[in-house]
Amino acid sequence: MMYEFKVSEMAEEFGVHRNTIRNWINAGTLPAKEGPGRKYLMEFHEYERLCKKFGREPHLHSVDNVSHRTRETLAEIDVEPLSISGGKSILPEDPSWADECLTCGTCASACPISGVDGLDPRKIVRMTVLGMDKELIESSWPWKCTLCAKCEESCPANIQITSLMRKIRGVRDRARVPEPIHKSVTMCLERGNNLGIPKEDFVVLCEDLGEELAADECPGFKTPVDVHGARVLITVNSKAVFGEPDSLKWWWKIFWAAGESWTLSSEYWEGVNWGLLSGDDEAMQTVVGRIVDNMKRLNCRVLLLPE
Amino acid sequence: MNRWYPEALREFKIVTLFDLLLEYLDEGKIQLDKSIHAVATGYHDPCNYGRKSLKEFGQAYFEEGRAVIRACCDDVRELNPNRNGAYCCGAGAGAWAMPYSNERVYHGRIKARQIAESGAELIVTPCQTCRDQIMKSLVHEFDLGIEVKYILELVADSLILGGK
Repeated sequence: MMYEFKVSEMAEEFGVHRNTIRNWINAGTLPAKEGPGRKYLMEFHEYERLCKKFGREPHLHSVDNVSHRTRETLAEIDVEPLSISGGKSILPEDPSWADECLTCGTCASACPISGVDGLDPRKIVRMTVLGMDKELIESSWPWKCTLCAKCEESCPANIQITSLMRKIRGVRDRARVPEPIHKSVTMCLERGNNLGIPKEDFVVLCEDLGEELAADECPGFKTPVDVHGARVLITVNSKAVFGEPDSLKWWWKIFWAAGESWTLSSEYWEGVNWGLLSGDDEAMQTVVGRIVDNMKRLNCRVLLLPE
Repeated sequence: MNRWYPEALREFKIVTLFDLLLEYLDEGKIQLDKSIHAVATGYHDPCNYGRKSLKEFGQAYFEEGRAVIRACCDDVRELNPNRNGAYCCGAGAGAWAMPYSNERVYHGRIKARQIAESGAELIVTPCQTCRDQIMKSLVHEFDLGIEVKYILELVADSLILGGK
């Protein structure tokens, strides 16, 4: 917020001569700029600082609700001015984006986290067009973004902002992918599910849950594991197995009520493919391939995907 | 799947939970008791089943989830904006698991406001991550005082199991 003043008014307010104010301005002690109509402009917090120095109450208070202290903190975390390398970016799906993006900022107003870290979708697209790959890959913003596609939906030029964001995630060095995601992807590749739950534990858990369900609500229920020729194969979210095993029973109960022929696979049952999130197509393909193999092995006709 | 294993798609069918639930409902294979959830119920559109599915596969699941909820509850409310214009819960694309929880909650403020404005006492969503974000985070951070259920949980809890 800017504060506008006349030299004479300010001289009177602080009890000094008009020339003193002018000297302060010329010397830079008072960071003000000449404005229209023989008036001067300065940042409002500079005015407040001056008042503090003279032990005076400001005769005006800033109209927004941001306190002086907050504003100082904000000024401190202002992002560094960005420098442009002139290099060509490897990130855009289409080189014509440079012309197609209208820089209108509709994406930025649609995005719920615009302003976080001083960035928003419009700036990300601009940075891409300007070849600032290094800054983009370093930035945590594409990881804070939930790839919700609100920006893309609003874009009048149909820039593929979400796939750009995923690509930025994908080109980051794998060792620097945020820990939980990276760990899940490697765990899934090595051990068959995102949390590395062993096959025996999974099977025993499923059987126990099945017995519980049979005792409580669904007489005769038995968890079908690796049933060849079942109609439906379902996948499971490892997070549910680990943290909320009872939630597995929701589907089971519905299947039981509907008289469905279905099965779980004892191996490669993970239904959450985090290669999608880390931008790792290769890992994603491997995990999908395992489910395809399961379908063939168990000779099922319908595959149910969780999300 | 379409991209890497096109031949597999000819051998078997891929369905979403909506396809199966609606199949059971249409064919009368399951019966539901609406009196169990006699409260104002709001439906949250997950990005992945809606907007992003539409972009990726040319098909969005907007009405299917609502049809399932209407089979379980009488008073179904909308969060505005919804469907293709819906706001993300804030936890998508790994944000639920990532270390940026302040940003995740900040993102969710819009969803929390929509929920409060809708007057719903129960929010149902067909996405496990959305459910986690709303139930385990937003409800507490924004004092929403509502119940949250995954769509399968809603159906499983409404089932009439008698006679089997």
